[in-house]
Amino acid sequence: MTLADMSHRPSLYTLDARTKARNAAEKRFRLYGITAVSLGVLALVVLLTSVLGSGLGAFRQTMFTLPVTLDAAVLDKKGNRNPEEMAKATTITYGKVLTQALAAVVTERGLAPEGMKTKEIGALISKEAPASLRNMVLANPDLLGTTIDFEVLANGRIDGFFKGRVTMESAELDSNVSPAQLQLAQAMKEAGMLRLAFNPAFITNPDASELRPESAGLGVAILGSAYMMVIVLALALPIGVAASIYLEEFAPQNRFTDLIEVNIANLAAVPSIVFGILGLAVFINYAELPQSSPLVGGLVLTLMTLPTIIIATRAALKAVPPSIKDAALGVGASKMQTIFHHVLPLALPGILTGTIIGLAQALGETAPLLLIGMVAFVKDYPAAPPEGFLDPAAALPVQVYNFTQRSDPAFIERASGAIIVLLVFLLTMNILAVLLRRRFERRW
Amino acid sequence: MNDMRLTERTVDATDIKIAARKVQVFYGTTHAIKDVDVDILDKTVTAFIGPSGCGKSTFLRCINRMNDTIDICRVEGDILLDGEDIYDKKVDPVQLRARVGMVFQKPNPFPKSIYDNVAYGPKIHGQVKNKAELDEIVEASLRKAALWNEVKDRLDAPGTGLSGGQQQRLCIARAVATSPEVLLMDEPCSALDPIATAQVEELIDELRENFSVVIVTHSMQQAARVSQRTAFFHLGNLVEFGETGQIFTNPRDPRTESYITGRIG
Repeated sequence: MTLADMSHRPSLYTLDARTKARNAAEKRFRLYGITAVSLGVLALVVLLTSVLGSGLGAFRQTMFTLPVTLDAAVLDKKGNRNPEEMAKATTITYGKVLTQALAAVVTERGLAPEGMKTKEIGALISKEAPASLRNMVLANPDLLGTTIDFEVLANGRIDGFFKGRVTMESAELDSNVSPAQLQLAQAMKEAGMLRLAFNPAFITNPDASELRPESAGLGVAILGSAYMMVIVLALALPIGVAASIYLEEFAPQNRFTDLIEVNIANLAAVPSIVFGILGLAVFINYAELPQSSPLVGGLVLTLMTLPTIIIATRAALKAVPPSIKDAALGVGASKMQTIFHHVLPLALPGILTGTIIGLAQALGETAPLLLIGMVAFVKDYPAAPPEGFLDPAAALPVQVYNFTQRSDPAFIERASGAIIVLLVFLLTMNILAVLLRRRFERRW
Repeated sequence: MNDMRLTERTVDATDIKIAARKVQVFYGTTHAIKDVDVDILDKTVTAFIGPSGCGKSTFLRCINRMNDTIDICRVEGDILLDGEDIYDKKVDPVQLRARVGMVFQKPNPFPKSIYDNVAYGPKIHGQVKNKAELDEIVEASLRKAALWNEVKDRLDAPGTGLSGGQQQRLCIARAVATSPEVLLMDEPCSALDPIATAQVEELIDELRENFSVVIVTHSMQQAARVSQRTAFFHLGNLVEFGETGQIFTNPRDPRTESYITGRIG
């Protein structure tokens, strides 16, 4: 070929039309990808900002320390320090004690606006406070006659005032709080009495009624969810893995196993509320297990999680290279030995990931729990397992639902707070899944 | 390796180790192996050659019943190991595979240590009473596979970290650790470079002292180098079976001649 011939060929330095079109197409595709990812990240940021913005407040609560003199003449009229007799002094009595204590302090410091009634001053105190003071005294009658520094939560409206939820204008229209009370609270804050502090009770307390949003917590819900997760893990993991191993390695390939396979895939897609109805019919109506109990909740969630675990486990088992199976069979290992010595260890990371994803899904599941009575208001902590599995309990996602159902706006903050706790649990589980995967994944 | 040593090879033993009679293999409706009769002698290397898809690997896998793991595969006819039918209902394939070891085409060490790879077979067959005996077997097997000197200082290292040739020799060590009577090798060198291939071939020749070796290979040179007897398969039929020297220098069937001269296959 001569130089003259070569001059007819297009230069490599100029792009021809086809190459230009191809490059443009690639560029466009990348742009679509970046747009999609950005949209996703944006949605996540909006979600997190909104949840954190409205929920973080739930972890901080307005409270103040009140010196309370526990007058034995009022609280123990018989004077014999017998808790049974002392129980005759009700929360109303204790409420009065607290009200008087607060009124004394604010009057002494000159914080109370002119002409404010003692009762109005007392309304700053959470309605939870008398009950907890009463429990404290009944548990320790020796406190009678002494003056103690008692931690008092402020009423939800007062708390809302400092968090921007309640304003002077809204207080005008509000029968539960008056501008005068807000002024008093402001004065108390300026005098250093009131403070907005971290509130561990949000994590540990049980739920509280409409009237006391400030003392509502997630203790029972967290315990209930934890109990259910224990049950789901203990049932779904062994049953799911055993079923997958059988289906994947032992079961003959015929119409019957095809049918089972289709059904498992379908079960994974069945709406969760259907599992709730099933649980209601089978576990509560037929087997007569107690309503609202973590046992029933756990069983229903197990049914829901099983297909997820089976599908993940089967995929993990399928992914084990057949050459390893051949190698084991070749040296004379039985089918069982091949599976348990070689296949299962290699499939373990996949199985664990599937299980944790299934558990995370179960942790966030709400609908079936509504039907089996876990939506109930539960004030008492369930006992320690195993008896506690039969005690009534709440669950985290249902608690979120419950909070959002209540009219007091203070519960909006608590619902978001509960969502944050739920997200933290989910995040922990997912991180655990990644760590376990790393730990068990064979690096060779 | 000299290809021209063919005629020097003599068959030392004449005991029949494996006798196959009228073996048919079906994959579903496909007739993969048709009427194969083969006598495999003890302490001899027998090579199966033939074009791809001719059924040589399928037939090899019949000898230790590895085809049992394939649902649609059906084997008819008799394969006798020391006069006993291995497809008899009373035979447990697990017990059979302890006596008929196998080395696969792709090196497939377990993702475990070198030591555990070799020790696995003896362990599950209860061939050892204590750690000392096991150590002995592991060392002896690795020596037989000509791998001991390369790995003796790192027995705890993962078997999958070795080079391809070393991995294949590890698989051979693993197969000989259970002291089988027959060793089946399915294209053991196809994934190896020429140097590793030479090492494995040398090894096969040494293994002949203790085992009856059956090797499937695509390389006619390899068959000529390592085997005493050669079987030529074509389209599921056993076309010709005889002394390696005779097959390569004086084939009786025109198909064999075409194949070894490169006209078919």
